[in-house]
Amino acid sequence: MAQVFHRAANNVAKISIVVAVVLAATAGFVYTQLARSSYLTGQHVEKQQPVQFSHKHHSGDDGIDCRYCHTAVETSYSAGIPPTQTCMNCHSQIWSDSPYLEPVRASWRENKPIEWERVHDLPEYAYFNHSIHIAKGVGCSTCHGQIDNMPAVWQEHTLQMEWCLQCHREPEKYIRPKSEIYNVQWNDSELSDEERLQLKADYKIRSQEMLTSCSTCHR
Amino acid sequence: MLKSKFKVQSSKFKVRELISGLKLGAWNVRLFLLFAFCLFAVGCRYDMQDQPRYKAHKKSDFFADGKAMRELPEGTVPRGFLREDKAFYQGKTEGGQNATATAPNPAATPTMDSSGNTLVTDFTGLVSEFPLPVTEDLINRGEQRYNVFCIVCHGPVGNGDGMIVRRGFSKPPTYNDDRLRNAPVGHFYNVITNGQGKMNSYAAMVPPADRWAIVAYIRALQISQNPNGNMQMNSANPSNANAPTPIMNNANPVTTNNANVSGGAR
Ligand code: HEC
Ligand code: HEC
Ligand code: HEC
Ligand code: HEC
Ligand code: HEC
Ligand code: HEC
Repeated sequence: MAQVFHRAANNVAKISIVVAVVLAATAGFVYTQLARSSYLTGQHVEKQQPVQFSHKHHSGDDGIDCRYCHTAVETSYSAGIPPTQTCMNCHSQIWSDSPYLEPVRASWRENKPIEWERVHDLPEYAYFNHSIHIAKGVGCSTCHGQIDNMPAVWQEHTLQMEWCLQCHREPEKYIRPKSEIYNVQWNDSELSDEERLQLKADYKIRSQEMLTSCSTCHR
Repeated sequence: MLKSKFKVQSSKFKVRELISGLKLGAWNVRLFLLFAFCLFAVGCRYDMQDQPRYKAHKKSDFFADGKAMRELPEGTVPRGFLREDKAFYQGKTEGGQNATATAPNPAATPTMDSSGNTLVTDFTGLVSEFPLPVTEDLINRGEQRYNVFCIVCHGPVGNGDGMIVRRGFSKPPTYNDDRLRNAPVGHFYNVITNGQGKMNSYAAMVPPADRWAIVAYIRALQISQNPNGNMQMNSANPSNANAPTPIMNNANPVTTNNANVSGGAR
């Protein structure tokens, strides 16, 4: 039988194996990069809100404590978004005829909640709880970044599983004294390694095995 | 089921024939199928991401007002919210002002001072002793809560020079004058609960036990600004272990009466 393929086809076949491997590896790499990209995770993306509410003004310039508005953060899984009444505590008087605040006044008049756009949104098969993190010394800025510099909130981290785990494996690297939890300016280098281990013992933080076990977050 | 299986298989065969026509190895075929499966699987995840249940603040298509977080039907009392202890929950004496929880303080005789604040001088019907033990923990908790909710207007020592006042909010009266030094503790509690004049009610943000903690801290501030006066902090039940107490640190959140509103788990 006559040869169907030229001898060079052997080389083509061999090269095609190499090319396939390289292609597969590239595809894998592109996938991991895409999955971590801000396009898919929403990291660093500012959202358009119905009111141009600015944490830079309220937290940064006016020094209002996070808990004045996010009242549930110490006691519940959700930090809570303030109701319109909270805004009206102050804005019934100051800036009370600013056009930027018209949606707030409308919401107050008509007794309809303001529809804020969610910035952070975990998939619902993962369980997250604010109160435990606050109780064990993880500060707001560790997870949310420099909120007091953000005219519009963006997501500072990917919120992917690898991000949660990197801290659950070594929480001592990220914890701080209770008095500094709401201090957005806190600098992690202010504690020595011994002080961190001491804090970890004081807070009775559980073992790495427990914190990284699947059922902690997927329940 | 059978049909779809058949379909898949037949298309698989086609693919295999096609590829084997090109004389690629069986491995490449498998790789190709794996890749196709991955592409297919990417489309699968969204019903796990958005499950048909409510989390806090979600929008609801079911309820008419669009809110997943429900408000109490009128006239109902949730478990643990039967607030019979009048001194503790309203700051009023038995048979004192029979105001409802939402009405503004009826004792507020509408005299105004120069900056338009309501000058209350009639304090009848308000308790003059703390209805819970006054401890160091209570005052520390009060300091923390005062610094969260009140300092923005009333300022660090209660002189009414907080940051928001500097930005244009009307100046509240100072705590450090004789009128408020002599005011009974029930007055402060009542203002936090029901608001007064230009100050809104803080009842939704500060639970009752925390309100008493704040009042204790305000008294401590008044004493610190007037060390030679003879003010005292009296408690009506210094040793009543059953009195609802606020929890003093973040590790044990305030739950005495609020367990069912915040709901730790979902
Ligand atoms: C004056 C009230 C107020 C204060 C004080 C405040 N916030 Fe907010 N916060 C809001 C409102 C309203 C929103 C929703 C609108 C938005 O996302 O900008 C919000 C949104 C957020 C979000 C994003 C929520 C989402 O949609 O995922 C984070 C995170 C946050 N705040 C953290 C903080 C931290 C940390 C502090 C303290 C440094 C703080 N906030 C202080 C009112 C406040
Ligand atoms: C361990 C990391 C972590 C810490 C610490 C943390 N947050 Fe969050 N926060 C998150 C995550 C994750 C979400 C998204 C939750 C979700 O989608 O269910 C979130 C969501 C929020 C939201 C949106 C509403 C909600 O609860 O879903 C607000 C507001 C907020 N955080 C405020 C705060 C404030 C204020 C603090 C400090 C007291 C804080 N957070 C501390 C991780 C953290
Ligand atoms: C404790 C008082 C206080 C509360 C509560 C408060 N604000 Fe403000 N807000 C201020 C002050 C003070 C300013 C002026 C900011 C500045 O110049 O530093 C301001 C400014 C603003 C502005 C900009 C107005 C303009 O014309 O530029 C907006 C918008 C706003 N607030 C929205 C809100 C919303 C929405 C809420 C409720 C979640 C809220 N605020 C709650 C004190 C408050
Ligand atoms: C910066 C550090 C840090 C990050 C980031 C972090 N955690 Fe945690 N987490 C902790 C610490 C510390 C604890 C307390 C452990 C303990 O109770 O001993 C904790 C506890 C928890 C618990 C409670 C465990 C239980 O059994 O009650 C859950 C659930 C949890 N984390 C989920 C998450 C999720 C989901 C994420 C990512 C979105 C996340 N955490 C990110 C530090 C972190
Ligand atoms: C510290 C909390 C935490 C622990 C522990 C944890 N996960 Fe996750 N997991 C998450 C979060 C948060 C997400 C959502 C990530 C995202 O938004 O992409 C997630 C997502 C996932 C996904 C879906 C990934 C995707 O991209 O669709 C799988 C599968 C998963 N986890 C499996 C596991 C397994 C198996 C374990 C135990 C070995 C585990 N997880 C332990 C927090 C955790
Ligand atoms: C947004 C600014 C603001 C905040 C925040 C605020 N107040 Fe006030 N407060 C005022 C103003 C203004 C008045 C004067 C009201 C009037 O008479 O019109 C006042 C009055 C009072 C009075 C009455 C004094 C008198 O003359 O009898 C008390 C008591 C009081 N506040 C306590 C508190 C406590 C406790 C908190 C914290 C839970 C608090 N306030 C938070 C602005 C504020």
